Amino acid sequence: MNRERLTNIALPLIGTLIVVAVWEAASRLGAIDPRVFPGPVTAIAEAAGRLSADTVGEHMAWSLFRVFSGFALGVAAGVVIGVLAGWYRWFGLIARPLIELLRPIPPLAWIPLAIIWFGLGEPSKFFIIFLGAFFPVVTATYHGVTNVDPILVRAARTFGVGGWSLLARIVLPAASPDLATGIRIGWGLSFGVLVAAELIAADRGLGYMIMNERNTGGSVSVIIVGILLIGFLNLLTDAAIGSAIQRWIGRWHGSGV
Amino acid sequence: MRGRLVLQYAVSAAVIVGAIALWELGVKTGYLKAYQFPPASRIAEGFVEIATTGFPTGITIWSHVLTTVTRILQGYLAALALAIPVGLVIGAFPLVNKMLEPVIVFCRSIATLSLLPLVIVWFGAGELTKVILIAYGCFWVMLSNVIAAVVYVDPVLIRAGRSFGLKGVALYREVVLPAALPRMFAGARMALGVGFMVIVGAEMIGTIEGLGALIMEARTFYRSEITIIGMLVIGVLGFVISTGLAALERVLLPWGATGEGARA
Repeated sequence: MNRERLTNIALPLIGTLIVVAVWEAASRLGAIDPRVFPGPVTAIAEAAGRLSADTVGEHMAWSLFRVFSGFALGVAAGVVIGVLAGWYRWFGLIARPLIELLRPIPPLAWIPLAIIWFGLGEPSKFFIIFLGAFFPVVTATYHGVTNVDPILVRAARTFGVGGWSLLARIVLPAASPDLATGIRIGWGLSFGVLVAAELIAADRGLGYMIMNERNTGGSVSVIIVGILLIGFLNLLTDAAIGSAIQRWIGRWHGSGV
Repeated sequence: MRGRLVLQYAVSAAVIVGAIALWELGVKTGYLKAYQFPPASRIAEGFVEIATTGFPTGITIWSHVLTTVTRILQGYLAALALAIPVGLVIGAFPLVNKMLEPVIVFCRSIATLSLLPLVIVWFGAGELTKVILIAYGCFWVMLSNVIAAVVYVDPVLIRAGRSFGLKGVALYREVVLPAALPRMFAGARMALGVGFMVIVGAEMIGTIEGLGALIMEARTFYRSEITIIGMLVIGVLGFVISTGLAALERVLLPWGATGEGARA
């Protein structure tokens, strides 16, 4: 058991180190031109020289603020509309065709229209990130709510639970695994959309930071470090959201998703 | 049951027609600005224009579609051609898989479009950059699905194969591969969805051809109706591709119904 745990930690670590070492060696030995593709050590050293921690922190704070607020709005709207559409037949009949019509349009394709509607400022970015979370969440919620075991609902009714309390105490918990999937997918989309929106039209944020570096002919090192930073940020936030969801669902469904 | 389904479609159609009519009315009465919410009649005129003379002049909607689809296919096929063999090899060796897992997870979480500035520095803002971005996005999604498909083959199947005397490459070819195919196909479908997301963003920079460029160009020229047409075409294209692949999957792999599972 102990040995198994050790290899479970050691092997991934060794593998990662090998890959990083190969990258570093390739640029040291001249297999790839270090001016075009610097090794990790050079890249980090050079980026540290060109960027202050404050600047990076500020860009990162803006990116995180945008993605979290857009995502939170998208999840909230998705859950509310998904539950209503699944619970009230007439609302579902109206909302579903409109949602199904717009869903196949990828969030990035909304960028020009978002700019027409909301201008070049922050609201257009929030809107696109919002869409990234909204569609997966609304679809998953609707699916979850309409597929709740009818026996559960009838049992609850027998115990005198009805209306909103039936929705909050029986239907939502029963639909929560579907919801969790929707939220995870929504987070991934929101994050991908955030970076794209910042590349195309923004004046701060990590996406802007790397695009600006290339437009002003700055250093490749900064771009590479920026990309790695975005990757880590995505990985960490995704893991955090995943474990938060698991704890939340665990209350009703025993172990994990 | 059938009658109810027909009724449901009728209601859906009525809702959509009603929404379009309300929208048209909103513009006519001046509640909605025609520039911000171009009504259906303007969109229809715009469609005739873009299908015949084109926008920007000379590039019709059909050639935009063709450009976008060609770009997606190039990157997508390159990614599959690379990811399938690599994934099959990694999946066959649990040790290698364990060692590379964090690297693959990390590369997958790098937002594909964040690579755009770097790839522009390397290859310029031309065709190759777009194809590479699509290939990158598709590759990691496909790779992790191929590996998972091989790793999660039902061990009972493998034991059964062994007791029939299969081992090594023969076991892999006769048992593991067919059992892994459904999940690989689901991965291929997911990867195409990713490619579709990436292309729209990649085309918004440094080109005037392709659907992503079309909707962005139209905005700069205050032609919001053309932006909306472009969005609708993108949506229809995505829908056709994903339902087409799902149908293909049912025909090719009747033994492994992955159903609705993988929508990216």
